[in-house]
Amino acid sequence: MSDDATRTLGKGSTPPGPVPEGVIRLYSMRFCPYAHRTRLVLRAKGIRHEVININLRNKPEWYFTKHPFGQIPVLENSKCQLIYESVIACEYLDDAYPGRKLYPYDPYERARQKMLLELFYKILGYQNTVFFGGDCISMIDYLFWPWFERLEVYGIADCVNHTPTLRLWIAAMKQDPTVCSLLTDKNTFLGFLNLYFQNNPGAFDYGLSC
Amino acid sequence: MSGGSARSLGKGSAPPGPVPEGLIRVYSMRFCPYAQRTRLVLTAKGIRHEVININLKNKPEWFFKKNPSGLVPVLETSLGQLICESAITCEYLDEAYPGKKLLPGDPYEKACQKMVFESFSKVPPLISRILRTQNKEDCSGLKEELHKEITKLEEVLTDKKTTFFGGNSLSMIDYLIWPWFERLEALELNECVDHTPTLKLWMAAMKKDPTVSSLLTDVKTFQGFFNLYLQNSPEACDYGL
Repeated sequence: MSDDATRTLGKGSTPPGPVPEGVIRLYSMRFCPYAHRTRLVLRAKGIRHEVININLRNKPEWYFTKHPFGQIPVLENSKCQLIYESVIACEYLDDAYPGRKLYPYDPYERARQKMLLELFYKILGYQNTVFFGGDCISMIDYLFWPWFERLEVYGIADCVNHTPTLRLWIAAMKQDPTVCSLLTDKNTFLGFLNLYFQNNPGAFDYGLSC
Repeated sequence: MSGGSARSLGKGSAPPGPVPEGLIRVYSMRFCPYAQRTRLVLTAKGIRHEVININLKNKPEWFFKKNPSGLVPVLETSLGQLICESAITCEYLDEAYPGKKLLPGDPYEKACQKMVFESFSKVPPLISRILRTQNKEDCSGLKEELHKEITKLEEVLTDKKTTFFGGNSLSMIDYLIWPWFERLEALELNECVDHTPTLKLWMAAMKKDPTVSSLLTDVKTFQGFFNLYLQNSPEACDYGL
C-alpha cells in the first residue's frame, strides 16, 4: 500500500500543524497526475516525506494559505517554505536533496530534457533511446509517466500501438521499482473516475478501507 | 556585439556555416521580446556570441532545421547543439558559462524565481492579443485583464520588499520579464502601471542597468516595427536599418 493511502481533508477540517524537521510535506490527491510526478520524485530520491490528501471538490479553507487557488501539488518544508507547480516542485527536490540526481549534470542535456517537456504532447518520433533521457531512467521519464499509467484506464492504450519504442518504454517503466511502488491498478482508477464524473465528493477517498 | 544590428536572413538565403569554437550563436530578431531575454543574458554574463537575425515574415527554409517550429530564439553551439525556448536558453547559458550566476544557488530561492515566472506567464499572450486587436471594445477587456496580471506582480514585489524580483540586485527573473515592460509605452499601455508604484520604481531601476540600457529600443522604432509587422510586411524585421 502506498504511503499516501489516507482520507482527504475537506472543508471544516483542522489545519495541519507545522512540518517536523527532517521531513517534507506534500499536499496531494491520490489520482492527480501532476501530484503523481512529485510523489515519483520523492520516492525515487528516497526523501522522507508525509502526504496530506486534499479533497479537491470540497477544499479546506486553510488550504488557500498554502496555495492561492487551492491547487496541488504543493510542497511545504519545516521552514514553512511553500513550493508549487509540479515541475518546479520536482526540480526543487532534485536540487535540495542529496543522493541520486534525476536531472543530468550537463547543461545541454538538462536543456534537452526541458525542451522535451515542452514537447510533451507531441512526443512521437522524439525518442531514440530506451528511456527519454538515455539508457537509464531519469527526471523526464518520471515527468511523463503518470499520463501513460492512465492510458489503459482512459481506454486510449491503442494510441501507442504503432509506436513500438513507446510500448517498450512503458514496459521498461513498469519494471522500475519506484514506478511499481506507486502503481494504481486499473479498477481503482476506474472506480475513482466513475464517482468523479458524477461529482461525488467521495471520489477522492475511493478504495480506502476506513 | 557582432551582428546585433544586421539585416535579417530570409527565404533563399544561404545557410550559415558552423559556429566557430569559443563562440555561441543566437538566431534572433531585433524586436522579438523572447529573443531579447536570451540577448540580455548573453550580455549580462559577458558571453562571446554572434547574432543571426531571422526574417520572421519570410523565413529561410534552412531555419526549420535549427528549430522545427521556426521560432526564435535558438542557440547553436560550436558542437552543433541546438537549444530552443527562450527560458530554457537563458537557464542553459547561466549553467554552461562561468561568471556571475543569474539564478540563485539556493534551491528554494531558485524555485521562487520560477514561481514568479509562472505568475507572469499570462502577460506575453495578453500583450500579443492587445497588439493585434483593432476593436477598441475588445481591447478594453484585454487591458483590464492585463491590469489584473500586472497588479499580481506588484503584490509579489511589494511583499518581497526588495528593489528587484530576486532581491536587491538584478537577477534572472528580472531579465525574463523585462522585455514586455519595455514595450508598454510603445503599445500605449503605460496606464497599466499607473496604480503600481513599486513596479514603476522597478522599471526605472531596470532602465539604469547597463545590460538593459545597451539593448533598449526607443518608442518610435518599436511603433515603426509594430506597424509593418501587423501588415505582415517582409520589411518589418529590418525596420530602422
